[in-house]
Amino acid sequence: MFKKPSLTFSLILIVGFLTVCPVLMLLFGSFSEGLTSFGSFTLDKYIEGYTDPILREVLLNTIIFTVGSALVATTLALFLAYVNTRTNLPFKFLFSIISIIPMMIPHILFSVSWVLLLNPSNGILNRFLMQMFGLDGAFFNIYTLPGMILVEGLLDLPIAYLIIAPAMRAFDVTLEESSKVCGASVLRTLFRVTLPVLRPAILAAAILVVVRSLASFAVPSVVGMPGRIYVLSTYIYRSISSGFAADFGKAAAIGMSALVASIALIYVYRYLTSERGKFVTVSSRGFKPTLLDLKQYKFPVFLIVGLLCFVLIVLPVLVLFYTSMLPYSMVPSARAFAMMSWNNWIDVLKDPISLLSIRNSLTLGVVGATLGVVLSIFVSYVIVKVRSKASGILESLSFLSFSFPGIVIGVGFMWFFVQTPLYGTIWALLIGYIATYLPYGVRPISSAFVQIHDHLEESSRICGASTFYTMRRIVIPLLVPGIVSGWILMATMFVRELSLSVVLSRPGSEVLAVQILHFAEDGLWGKLSALGIMMIFLSSTLVVAATLIGKKLTRMEVVDT
Amino acid sequence: MEIRIKGLIRNYYSEGKQIKALDKVDLTIPANEIFTLLGPSGCGKTTLLRCVVGLENPDGGEIMIGDQLVWSSEKKIFVPPEKRGLGMVFQTYAIWPHMTVFDNVAYPLQTRKLPKEQIRSKVRKVLGFVQLDGFEGRPATKLSGGQQQRVALARALVAEPKVILFDEPLSNLDAKLREDTRKELRRFLSELKITAVYVTHDRIEALALSDHIAVMRAGRIVEIGSPKKIYFNSDHRFVADFIGRANLIKGKVIREEGNHAVFDSAIGQIVGLNSQKIAPGQEAMLCIRPEFMKLATTEVGEGKNVFCGKLETLVFIGEAYEGEVRIGDTLLTTTIEPTEDITEGDEIYISFDPDHCFLLPV
Amino acid sequence: MKKLSILLLGLFLVPSVFAADLVKAKSEGQVNFYANITAIQPIVEEYSSSQGIKGIYTRISTSKYLATILTEHAAGKLQADVLQAPLPVMKILKDKGVLVAYKSPSATGYPDWAQQDDTIVQFGIEYVAMIYNKEMVKPEDVPTRYEDLTDPKWFDKIVMPDPSLHATTITWLVGLKENKIFPSDEAWLKFVKGLAANRPMFVKSFGPTPAPVESGEKHLAISMPKYIITKAPAPLDWARVDTLLGSPRGIAISAKAPHPNAARHFMDYWLTRDAMKMLADKVGEYVLAPGVFPPIDGISDVKVLPIRELSDEEIHSWGNEFKKIFYGK
Repeated sequence: MFKKPSLTFSLILIVGFLTVCPVLMLLFGSFSEGLTSFGSFTLDKYIEGYTDPILREVLLNTIIFTVGSALVATTLALFLAYVNTRTNLPFKFLFSIISIIPMMIPHILFSVSWVLLLNPSNGILNRFLMQMFGLDGAFFNIYTLPGMILVEGLLDLPIAYLIIAPAMRAFDVTLEESSKVCGASVLRTLFRVTLPVLRPAILAAAILVVVRSLASFAVPSVVGMPGRIYVLSTYIYRSISSGFAADFGKAAAIGMSALVASIALIYVYRYLTSERGKFVTVSSRGFKPTLLDLKQYKFPVFLIVGLLCFVLIVLPVLVLFYTSMLPYSMVPSARAFAMMSWNNWIDVLKDPISLLSIRNSLTLGVVGATLGVVLSIFVSYVIVKVRSKASGILESLSFLSFSFPGIVIGVGFMWFFVQTPLYGTIWALLIGYIATYLPYGVRPISSAFVQIHDHLEESSRICGASTFYTMRRIVIPLLVPGIVSGWILMATMFVRELSLSVVLSRPGSEVLAVQILHFAEDGLWGKLSALGIMMIFLSSTLVVAATLIGKKLTRMEVVDT
Repeated sequence: MEIRIKGLIRNYYSEGKQIKALDKVDLTIPANEIFTLLGPSGCGKTTLLRCVVGLENPDGGEIMIGDQLVWSSEKKIFVPPEKRGLGMVFQTYAIWPHMTVFDNVAYPLQTRKLPKEQIRSKVRKVLGFVQLDGFEGRPATKLSGGQQQRVALARALVAEPKVILFDEPLSNLDAKLREDTRKELRRFLSELKITAVYVTHDRIEALALSDHIAVMRAGRIVEIGSPKKIYFNSDHRFVADFIGRANLIKGKVIREEGNHAVFDSAIGQIVGLNSQKIAPGQEAMLCIRPEFMKLATTEVGEGKNVFCGKLETLVFIGEAYEGEVRIGDTLLTTTIEPTEDITEGDEIYISFDPDHCFLLPV
Repeated sequence: MKKLSILLLGLFLVPSVFAADLVKAKSEGQVNFYANITAIQPIVEEYSSSQGIKGIYTRISTSKYLATILTEHAAGKLQADVLQAPLPVMKILKDKGVLVAYKSPSATGYPDWAQQDDTIVQFGIEYVAMIYNKEMVKPEDVPTRYEDLTDPKWFDKIVMPDPSLHATTITWLVGLKENKIFPSDEAWLKFVKGLAANRPMFVKSFGPTPAPVESGEKHLAISMPKYIITKAPAPLDWARVDTLLGSPRGIAISAKAPHPNAARHFMDYWLTRDAMKMLADKVGEYVLAPGVFPPIDGISDVKVLPIRELSDEEIHSWGNEFKKIFYGK
């Protein structure tokens, strides 16, 4: 249509403005002398950043770390999404909530929990396993690359899950049925039909995890540094933090390689899924897939899923809760239990800044995710349905500030916002959040978009509906699963956002993650855990609400007046 | 309402190569007729339809629906699909799975912001017309294929469009249902007296439904005519072959005899229709459809177009036999009455009326 | 000078004499305090309620401090009236023209070196010590000299900020050398190498150092004694040695303070004995106000020396040295 290019164009303008500006500031910063974004031109920061002899090892570690995390997260997400959406496993609702819990935990807290569980000296889980199996040494040393991959993989599991699950749910069941009719076993069907058809969602999930773990700082610093394992983000940290005058320009110079890698990945992804027609799977028929009866495997599968969820997700949260009840860090013992109290909780609830931060984060989560999802719907529409060269640009743009290592992008936004009247207000946070985490909305929504047959939309146009009316009545209701996923990803992300907040929040616009970071810097693990659990509770409430509303919307017959 | 298409061009690009989906198509679709675009897949028929509704933009040419110019690359006119006032039934039906039957059908009226009462009565009327009374509250996904097809039709009709378009609407139905639905569709459309453009690759559908058929190949329209004209006396070898089973015999025109011509072929002299006035001495092709061949076990006197051959194969297909008769080196396919008492290897005589076979240019 | 200080001492005892300054400050209504020092909310609140000027505390971590202040300053949006940071950071800010000279009368009685500068007053020392777990380390094993850390019994039992990147730790290690804590540079180098040989676990900064010691994952940390107060009742104590070292903390007034009178008033208040006592009592900070000590057993008897502030170039090169020693095979 003649209209579409203008929609694409205006979106490129909006998204571009939001994401390019901070990155541009960082680009300026990386080429200018001094500590701000505008100084005289220099290449020194690049030369210094890229000639360090340990860089090669750092890059190797980074590749293993990111790819490993993507594998862990995607495999787990696939498994959980499959059993949660396609089988008659009991307590599925519970498991699907558990699958996205790590999303709501501040990464630093989750990492610390795992350190308490699996450190080689006195990790709780290590000790338990040592006693049980009579081992001499620690069962598993968390301060290793596999340890980092485990924790990061689990932290990114919800991203993968929320992208794969809706696709799995919307999957055209006849494709599987026809395979079974052809005599293929359930497993064969899974590997030959289900997984290949879900390729766009799986790839999207894996790539998003790679990009995310590339930018991750909590795990590399809490788990990697004690094991003396450096990846790109800690390498950046290292290069700026020795000395009091942290040079974020130099950090940006190193961060550029992460950016380039991410953009390249996105192009690979687009190339791999370019034959879009292959993957259109939702049509008028087969909207509700039938469930696989697990029969005699019901109980064993339930046991496996239950154990997996317990050890990987519930246990770390329990450790957090345990820590929040203690005056200081202790290994579980009779004395530790005797010293438990609600003091940390009471202290946090009495602290006006903590309360303000809860309120601010809640507002930012709800308002930000809603606005973000609206923008994501338009962006996904252009990416999936228009699919011109310009939409490729738009997709890359939406990833721009997202792919930048977290410890740097905040400074990019600061350099950008300080030029605007928004600086120091909560609006700066709101806009920054949406700009940075746009892919959280765009990915699941465009995955859902891919699965809506063009005809459903086209017939609406012919019925006399404008593009926007079609969006409202046809496209959006069909997108509900994707929209819910996107909203959840964004809302929970915004509730625990740290990288931007730590530089942009000011008195009055305090947010949860910053308050948590302050507790962490002061070494107040008890309060930190208490506030962290409140945060998990807050996010869970948002998730449950969004899921319920989504369920209602899918069932609702949209009658227009 | 009449549809006029002038010089329509639509190009696709695939792996750097240009594919001409529509190659300067000129076409006039007469008002209040069922007009079919017929052709093998990839011939451009669906692209043409999508250009007419406005789901695709041509690269050149003009489209007029009635008096309204809806597309002109020269005058930079583009009327979006929602402003063209058309109805369309998709191959996938495109029934919205999140809505009930009522909502699906009421949708075009809701977009036109009609009062609720009016919407309700119109929906009820059109659902009655497609024999889906009482299905209003059903979720659309809980319908059979045939019912979905009728919902799609009701939706296309409810706003009383000037033109209704069909994109292979029957291809997702099973054979029996397809036949019934075809008849129904014919009845619906002849009652409604509106312009219907129908795209299919199925020749039987095209013949059974249409007032006129345009046969397409490789982005061009090869021939337009009534079903009978195209079936009995096509102007093109491709069309003759595509529209039904045909025996094509090579040869040379010897002389003209009024509308007919005498034609010399490997099996002997044949008299056939020569509408295209192929001059004596020209190479030509004779088309004779299997169902027009008469069969006899004994010689039936000295008529025109009588040949003696040997029945090589005989296959029983229910309503008839299908046989292959060898005359010299030529093998002709023929339809044989199921009651006929013959077996493979029999010597038989075949004959056909000069009015039932026709000459085509090579 | 002396007269003035007596007068000022009087001002705090009899607030009404203090009024002239306070009126102007009060009319400005508020004061913005940018600080990297943590947990000072109670002092700011006390200031607001007792002085009637709203104190607003903006906490900015050391790693982002300069970037933030210089960016805001360059854009003309620096909201801070009073700035507090480690001395080297304050010096850079002074060089960049962010600060304005002010001699607070409240600094009277502070050590001379702390108030030499016309702009920056040093009010405390971020002191570093060996912190151990009382339940894990037997009294006879507690180090009494820094050299004791090189004993192999500490192998795999120490946690410390990464000495190749954490500026304060680098400065501290260099300070041990420059302040002649060891008989010779060779002895110092032997200490550093011995410490490295015990494979300490590295963390990002001081913040995460106490947790592994509390929980018993490690037995000893190179950390800060203030955690003994903030983390009570954790079984933490500090190893008594003759001398502790630390980086000085500085405070100064912004050149473009939106509330200049309130800024001066706040700085005066901050440097009073009462305010400093709060800092020592509540947060365990080592402060320079005469006679004020954190309530940690033995701290009042120990020498706490400021370390010469290293330039960033020096920190980088020492960081690289330590990287070779600590990360070498």
